[in-house]
Amino acid sequence: MGAPILSMKGIHKRFSSTIALDGVDLDAYPGEIRGLIGENGSGKSTISSIAAGMQKADEGTMTFQGEPWAPASMIDALAHGVGMIVQESGTISGVTVAENIFLAETSQFRRMGLIDRKAMNAQADKALSDIGIQNVRGATPMAALDFQTRKLVEIAKVAMKEPKLLVVDETTTALSHDGRTILYQLMKRYRDEGRAVLFISHDLEEIMEVCDTLTVLRDGKLIRSFKKEEFDADQIRTSMIGRELQGDYYRSDFTPSAQNEAALEASGLCLGEELKDVSITLHKGEIVGIGGLSHCGMHTLGKVLFGAAKPERGSVTVNGRTITSEAAAMDEGLGYVAKDRDVESLTLSASIQDNIAIAGMERYAVSKGIILGSRERRYVDKEIDELSIKCSGRDQQVSQLSGGNKQKVVFGKWIGRGSEILILDCPTRGVDIGVKQAMYQLMMKLKGEGKSILMISEELPELIGMSDRLLIMKDGRVEKEFLRSAELTDADVIGYMI
Amino acid sequence: MKAAEKSLQQSYRLRQLLIHLMPLAALAILLAALCWAVTSKGYRLDIYLNIVFNEAVVLAVVATGAVFIYTLGSFDISLGASTLFSATLGVMTYNATQSLPLMLLVILVTAIGCSLLSSLLASVFHIPVFVTTVAMMSVLSAIAAQIITKNGGALGGISIPSDLLRPLDTPWFKVVILAAFVALSIFIFSFTKVGRRQKFLGGNPVCAQLTGIDLNRYTIIAFVMAGLGVGLGAFLTLIYTPSVTTGTASSIGMNIIVAIVFGGMPISGGPNSKIYSALVGGFSYILLNNTLKILIDGNTGYGVSQIVSAIFFLAVVYVTSINYRTKLLPR
Repeated sequence: MGAPILSMKGIHKRFSSTIALDGVDLDAYPGEIRGLIGENGSGKSTISSIAAGMQKADEGTMTFQGEPWAPASMIDALAHGVGMIVQESGTISGVTVAENIFLAETSQFRRMGLIDRKAMNAQADKALSDIGIQNVRGATPMAALDFQTRKLVEIAKVAMKEPKLLVVDETTTALSHDGRTILYQLMKRYRDEGRAVLFISHDLEEIMEVCDTLTVLRDGKLIRSFKKEEFDADQIRTSMIGRELQGDYYRSDFTPSAQNEAALEASGLCLGEELKDVSITLHKGEIVGIGGLSHCGMHTLGKVLFGAAKPERGSVTVNGRTITSEAAAMDEGLGYVAKDRDVESLTLSASIQDNIAIAGMERYAVSKGIILGSRERRYVDKEIDELSIKCSGRDQQVSQLSGGNKQKVVFGKWIGRGSEILILDCPTRGVDIGVKQAMYQLMMKLKGEGKSILMISEELPELIGMSDRLLIMKDGRVEKEFLRSAELTDADVIGYMI
Repeated sequence: MKAAEKSLQQSYRLRQLLIHLMPLAALAILLAALCWAVTSKGYRLDIYLNIVFNEAVVLAVVATGAVFIYTLGSFDISLGASTLFSATLGVMTYNATQSLPLMLLVILVTAIGCSLLSSLLASVFHIPVFVTTVAMMSVLSAIAAQIITKNGGALGGISIPSDLLRPLDTPWFKVVILAAFVALSIFIFSFTKVGRRQKFLGGNPVCAQLTGIDLNRYTIIAFVMAGLGVGLGAFLTLIYTPSVTTGTASSIGMNIIVAIVFGGMPISGGPNSKIYSALVGGFSYILLNNTLKILIDGNTGYGVSQIVSAIFFLAVVYVTSINYRTKLLPR
């Protein structure tokens, strides 16, 4: 195997009162795609971000290509051969794609004191083409791109530097099938060229497919490393969570079930190219899945149903009232878990208490809108307990939580107020297997209580595994409806998506 | 690991407590510094304490109202001009009607009206609210200057009879006004839906909107509260000095920004905003200013003290941002 390209020994890292890494050793070898897997908060992102210069370790040593490694920043690390694609957005909105790709390096295009934008855009076009992105140009404003395409731009930005070690931190959750293909091809090329890749993902199937070796972290400690021939899904899961998963993962029944009464009706929704005459009825006690490729319009549909985007034609009705705003939707018992958790669903600088309590003030306020701390605290503590949110207390800032626990806070915000209808847009994006299972079980509990759930997802297994009805969207239309069945498979569905 | 985490949590909480207490400690140190500066120069301490108190009460009252705007992540540069304009109309009203209640009413209505106008213009034209406040600052200052120069001259200004408000020129009256307004603000800020929603809105407007919180509505409420603070500040100004010149309250708009940050509130607003920051910061800023004026004599004194204040301001913002950065976890 030879000498590791990156070697990290005894890495310790603390964030305020949280021990994120507790003496972790990690090596990455040339010609290897090493998976990093573990539950939310296990330390995967922390150790990879230390390797990539995003932050410094409190203790421990690192070597890169045999030399001591202490990058001053991510830019410094990238310049010396370690590039990282981060989990959340790593691009800037107000400028072009080319300016993002050449951020802090625009001076190389300076001609007589002015930036030669034509040359910069041409170089950006080349960087994008080199990794197989043909539909985005350097001159395109970043704000015009969706979350997935921004992520692809970020990949191009890092790949352009041809790093010796590429760190990919849960990037695939933001990517559709095409985007993932681009990334996988890049990773395989790097491996074949004798470089190394550290690949972080919560998707066990994906990580077993893509990686050559696998390192499992739990609670800031290295638990075990697996070689390809040792890959075993059950063993890896057990290593990740420290126990065997109890109970069912998806629903164990295969019969669609719902009450007759409609909870939400949407008819003839049209909005640009995103929605074209979409009509949906969601019944009480029903889970309706919405699937499709990333641009099929399903995410826009979620926003329209919640009143956050106005349709050009058509209407959404709940309890006989037309939903025209978020406030109206909430009045009628709707809750909305957005796809972009950190931007749309949480205030990161606020505490867990602030985030959970904000949506449910009607539930605990005394008359005239006056809030008593004791009632509010009880309300929040109940959600923390019921959802098993791992935190130091209700005052802990949400930005300090792991992805899965952040998502639990979002669920607590909407479930606590007694939402009768939940619109969940990619509810398990970036959360680990244990939290996923907990969320699926929660959805089943809510369904049993007669609540209605509309789950938008880019993951077919969870849509098939959880939905009473599955609607597949393509080009802004509902292309096909499937009823829950034990025989329904990915292969039956994919043809209607593409 | 558990014991280590518990110990870390305790030390983290202790550190947070110390950070929260820092503004109060700074206030105490600045008070001690003023006392030392005054006595070392052989000046009368009671006179300086009176000056500091009267200036600080006005700044603290206006800043308390302004916290509602700053919480939203916005700011209002026109608060000084609005104070001047309200006081000007108040004086004109009294001189025309000889009615003290009517004067007070005009001051409050003018101040709230000016604030409301800023926020409504921002709502109607869909522009950032601070942009409208920049325009309001110019307009209000110009109108007030016109009225003052036309009716009394730019230097002498316009005035009400000096004995009219003298019975109210007592520390107790001013403390009661300040305490009542601070208490009302704390109540709204911390114990009502309005305050909670404003803080959340300031933290993340996108998320707030997707939680059913209407930005325009809460912006208007914030500006009403700021207007009330301006009105009370204008009235307190007239109690202290019964004349209004074109320079009255001219620096309040900028001083509020510094005072609120001195008081420990993040400049970006949001969930960590606090009413007491205005109170503590208002007094701290005036103490600092007066101490520097005493220590730095001569014509250059004003400029140097402004520079020192600016350095203090940057230092406080830097320390606050360090605390913020250490709270960030990658995921």
